[in-house]
This record gives sequence, structure tokens and C-alpha cells, in this order.
Amino acid sequence: MLGYSLVNALGACLIITSMTVVLAKTVRASACLYSLQSLVLVAILASLGFVTGSGELFTWSATAFVTKVVLVPAILLFTLKKIDNNVNTDLTPKINPMKAVALVAVEVFICFVAVSGIDLPTAVEAKPALAVSLAHFFIGLTCIVIQRSIFKQIFGYCLMENGSHVALALLAPQAPELVEIGVATDAIFAVIILSVLVWRMAHYAHTLDADDLCELKG
Amino acid sequence: MDYTFLFLILIGCPFGAAILTAVLPSKSTPRAVYSGIHVLELAGVAAAGLALTVAAFMGDDIFVFGEWFHIDGLSALFLGLIAIIAPCTGIYSLPYIKHDVEDKKLEPSQVKQYYLFYSLFVFSMILAVSSNNIIMMWVSVEATTLSTVFLVGVYRTKLALEAAWKYVIVCTAGVAFGMFGTLLVYANAADVMADAHQAVFWTEILPNAPLMDHSLMMIAFVFAAIGFGTKAGLFPMHTWLPDAHSEAPSPVSALLSGVLLKCAILIVLRFFILTAANVGDTFPQTVMLILGVLSVAYAAFEVYRQNDLKRKLAYSSCENIGIIAVCFGIGGPLGIIAGLVHCIAHGLTKALMFCLSGNVMMKYRTRDLSKISGIISVAPVTGVLFAAGCLALAGFPPFAMFLSEMLMILAGVAAQTWWVLVIVLVALVVVIMALIRMITGAALGRASEEIGRGDVSALALAPEVILLAVVLLLGVALPGPLAGSIEEAGAIVMSYEGENSANGDLFADALAALGTQDQPELDDVSEMSDVSEVSDVQEEIEEVFE
Repeated sequence: MLGYSLVNALGACLIITSMTVVLAKTVRASACLYSLQSLVLVAILASLGFVTGSGELFTWSATAFVTKVVLVPAILLFTLKKIDNNVNTDLTPKINPMKAVALVAVEVFICFVAVSGIDLPTAVEAKPALAVSLAHFFIGLTCIVIQRSIFKQIFGYCLMENGSHVALALLAPQAPELVEIGVATDAIFAVIILSVLVWRMAHYAHTLDADDLCELKG
Repeated sequence: MDYTFLFLILIGCPFGAAILTAVLPSKSTPRAVYSGIHVLELAGVAAAGLALTVAAFMGDDIFVFGEWFHIDGLSALFLGLIAIIAPCTGIYSLPYIKHDVEDKKLEPSQVKQYYLFYSLFVFSMILAVSSNNIIMMWVSVEATTLSTVFLVGVYRTKLALEAAWKYVIVCTAGVAFGMFGTLLVYANAADVMADAHQAVFWTEILPNAPLMDHSLMMIAFVFAAIGFGTKAGLFPMHTWLPDAHSEAPSPVSALLSGVLLKCAILIVLRFFILTAANVGDTFPQTVMLILGVLSVAYAAFEVYRQNDLKRKLAYSSCENIGIIAVCFGIGGPLGIIAGLVHCIAHGLTKALMFCLSGNVMMKYRTRDLSKISGIISVAPVTGVLFAAGCLALAGFPPFAMFLSEMLMILAGVAAQTWWVLVIVLVALVVVIMALIRMITGAALGRASEEIGRGDVSALALAPEVILLAVVLLLGVALPGPLAGSIEEAGAIVMSYEGENSANGDLFADALAALGTQDQPELDDVSEMSDVSEVSDVQEEIEEVFE
């Protein structure tokens, strides 16, 4: 019981850290905070491993540490370094921080309501954490929608992906290694490709502002 | 029979070609080398793909590497589509890329990038349709996005990069919904199955689907429909589609629209079957119907409004994906068959039209329809193919889309979904007007003297002639084995009802459904008249299929 309380408490930390990633003013700060958030994810996976006795979850926490705490932030910081100084990477979001926090609060509430209707034995003890993982997914989507900097939109995708990762660990702790490999590999490749595209956009179009990328409307 | 070797050729050719292309130095390798590797790869995909498709059509249920890959009647239809369209658009790429290089639109490194990602794109689509592992299905769909993003942005202009960014961000976010849906299905299945490791295989989940948690399954289906529906281009998640299709090179647009959208539909269909087996067909059909009707209604007017040739075709793809969703939403044997036939018919027709848009761009150097006129007098073969393609896309007989759209209407009549039929028919009329306007303006209008006379190369025309011939053939007489396979695929989709065997005569059942639904209500003369008309149509359709 204590174990699941720890998991649920770490779930709350996940929401707080994801908010800091969304609200951070610079890409560099977002990358560092994302690394911190992934560390919370690693802690959730490890504590779930203790609670459920699943050996796979310890392996997952190790791979999540390598890929999400180290590799993904490193790729993003490397891309930031490669981008020309003339291109502004730290654009302000489309809505102010208070509105963003209110939006996230609504999302978290809706996710708690949605999860309350689920009747799955593996999720009984960790329903708050499951709601958090679902909410986390929508926080990522919110990040993509509200950010003007396309660089910061990458963090939205990363947050969505972290939400799925937690849901997977909560709902299927005995899942085969392949599932974890699929999720982790996808995250790395997606981040690399998104980073290359951001670099190309800065290099050829000299802008990372989503508002400048509206010529194809209609 | 063991099909492992054939399957290895099928996936090995595009993957091997991608690796080989990647290791060759871009500056010192002549373009002919890339072209040679590309042609060999396409030959392998066509031969192995068609062989596996025919084997599945003949009734073989193909499993490869244990249960990891599975080619049944349903996936064989989509594999067949890849085996025909990928080589056609691949061959078309040769003159198209040559033209772009001569036009200084592409540099040697970009040519290498094009062929490399084209191979990866084909590889990922094959994985998506043949995978029996639901996690692998999601990974493959995600891989199709990651492999095509550099194809969409290959020209490296601001517009191309904008389209590529929208494409990758919308689709990766969308497919993340699909991942969440996939994980929910897996977790749900692992909970009720004795061996959790078997819960990743679709064929193992299906028999256990009725035991799974209903609420979770409905949430999972909504996630899957949004996630993979984004990839399929369903409204309102379609926003990437017109941009990506219009900015990508035409052969890539053809492959995106002709095959990729259908691959995503196949994955949605796999989740549709699981959900229907769990909670009944009403919920998934309602979701499909809502998404389908919205897509058709919105996209039809956009097709009419657009003045950019490729954006017009892209919105037409959105509209046709909507029709496919409507067919599955109407449901019943006839609706399912209509949806599957429309997948094939639209895939082939749209691949043809996007290739033809490439011909037009090679001649006119623009996609603006106000500057394109008299294609028939400028490039006669292209012009005739273009006019025929427009008629095929509008759903005129004797082309394949006429058959699928007729089946959809009959399915709607049988299911008595009148409001759906009215909306879809109004939308179809709008699309017909748009395409007729394109024939009269672009194909038959007066040609400008500034445009040089003469057609594009024979190598560019050959794949288009083949595609039109297939579209015509399917419209005039659906070949027996293909009709049988569509029946089998329909039976797989209907398997949640537990009463249709894979070898049942589904066409006969589907047509019977038209009569039997109305017969108990035959109280007045007018209704009897309706039924007699329906019976006439039944006879006509039976003749078509026979």
C-alpha cells in the first residue's frame, strides 16, 4: 500500500515538473527541466518495479534513464547549439502562464473523472497515477498547441510520450521488452528527426515562429 | 506452406536498398546507380508482394516468424495495393527526379535522400499492413511518418519545410494517441489472458475481446480512431494532409494518398473489429460514421474551392477517406465490402491522378489551375489520361470508384441511414462539379502558346497507363480471386458477429440484406416498387461480380 502511495505521489511530481517544462522561458531551461522530469519517471518505474515485483520495470527504468534523462535532452541541447544565433528560439507562448495552468487543471480534473470509470484489476491501486499519466498526455498536447516556438513544441511531444510510458508501466508491468524497446526507440528517432527539421527550418527559413509558418493555410 | 523466404524478400528489398543507398557517397555516386538499386528493390517488392497476395487470396492464412507477421485476406488487399502502387510510383519517380535535377530543384545529396527515404517508406508500410503485433503496428505507422517527413520537405524551400513540420508534428502527436489506445488494448488483453506475452498479437486478442473491460475498450477505440485517423486524414485531424500532399514530389504524393492513408485505415479497422467484438458494433460504427460524414462534407467543398491542382486532389483524398469511414460506419456486409472496394479503387485512382499532376507540373511548371489549360493539345496522352482520371475520381462508370460508391449507396439504403446518404450524395455532386470543371478548364481549355508541345517521356506515361488500365478493369469486371478475397476480408471484419465464416458467400449475404431488411415492411405498393427496384440492382451487381 505504501508503495502505491509513493507511486501516486511521484505521479503528482510528474504533473508539476511537466508544467515547469511548459512554462520555462528558454529552450535550455525546458531541456534541463525535461531531464528532471524524466528522472521522476525513472523513479516511478523503479518504485512500480518494487511494488509489483516485475523485473522488466527495473530494466525499463534503466533504459528510460539513458534515453530520456540523458539522450533526449542532450540531442535537444546539441540542436540548440547548432542553431544560428540570429534565429530566436525562445519565443513567448500564445497564452499567458496563468491561463496555461488553469487549462492544465481542467485537463487533470477531466482525466480523473474519466479514469474513475475504468475497472481494471491492475490499475485499482494506482488510479490517481493512471489519471496523471492520461493528464500528462494532454499537457503535452497543450504544449504543442500553445507554444509559438516550434523548438518548444518538441517538448510537447516528449511529454505526451512520457505520459504513455507511465500508463504502460501502470497497466502492463509484465509487458515484454519489445514494447519498451518500441516506445524508447520511437522517442529517440522522433526527437532526432524533429530536431533535424527544426535546424533546417532555422537554416533555410530563418524562423522558428509557428506564426510565420502559415503560408499553406486554406 | 512456409512463406518466410518470400516475406524476407518483401521486407528485405526496400530495407536493403535503403541501407545500400545510405552508405553510398552522395557526391561521387552517379544518379543511375541509385536508380538501378531503386528499380531492383521495386521489382522485388512487386514480385514478392503479389505472390504473397495471391497466396492469401487462394485461402492461405500466412504467419511468418511465429505470430509476429500475419497476412490474411484483409491485409492481403492492402499488401496488393502496395505491390502495385509502390512500383508504379517508384518507376514514375525516375523521370520525375531526373526532371527536377535538370531543373536545379534537387542536388545530388537530395536525390540520394529521396531514394533512401522512399525505400524506408515502402518498408514501413509493408510492416504496418503485415504486422500481427499491435505494438509493431503502431511502431510501423510511426515509422511511416518519420520516413516520409524528409520526402515531404525534400525541396528545402520554406513552404516545403512548413508542410514537413506540420506533417510530422500533427502525425506524431496524433499517432501518440494511437499508441495510448494500443497500450490500453494491450493492458486490457493482458489482464484477461493467461499468457500476457500473447496479448500483443491481434489474432490472440480477438477471441478474448468479449472478456475485456468495456469502458477501457471504448476509450481505447476513441484514442485509436483519433490517432490512426489522423494518419488517415479524417476530419478534423486532416490538417497536415493538403500541405504535405501538395508540397511533396508528385510520386510521393501518389504513394501517400494511394497507399499510406489506406494503411492507417487498416489499423483503424483492426481496432474496430476488436471493439465491436467487445461492446458490439453500434459504438465503433457511430464513431466512424461521425468522422466519415464530417470528412466528406467538409472536404467536398474544399475540393471545389481549391485552385491548386495538388491541394484539390489532397482534399479529394480527405473526402474519399471520409467515404470509406462512412461505409464502415454504415456497417453490415454490404457496407464493409463497399469500404474495402473503395480503399482499392481510390488508392489506384488517386495514385494515377497525383502522377498525372506531376506530368502537368513538368509541362506547365505550376500547380495553379488558372494557369493550366489545354493539356490535351499540349500533351495529348497526358491530357486523355488526365480527363479519364478525373472521370474515374468523380465516380463515373466504367471506372472502379463507380462500383464502390454504388455499393455504399446500396449499403446506406439497406441500413436505412437516409441522413447519411443525403449528406454524402450532396457532397459527391459538389465533387463531380469540381472535377468536371477541371476537365473543361485544364484538360480541354485553350492552350497557351508559351507552353512547349509534346508529351512527357514514355517512362513517365507507362505507370499511368497501367494504373488507368487496372482502374478500368476493376470497374468493368472485378476479377474472381479479388472478389473472393474482398469477401474473405469482409468476413474477417464481420467476425465479431461470430456468424460469418471466412469462406462464406458474403456478397450473396450482403445483397440478400438489401431485400430482407425491407420485406417485413411491405405494406404498400410504393414500398413494393422500391424492393423490386432494389432486386433489379441486386441482379445487376451480381452480374458485375460474376
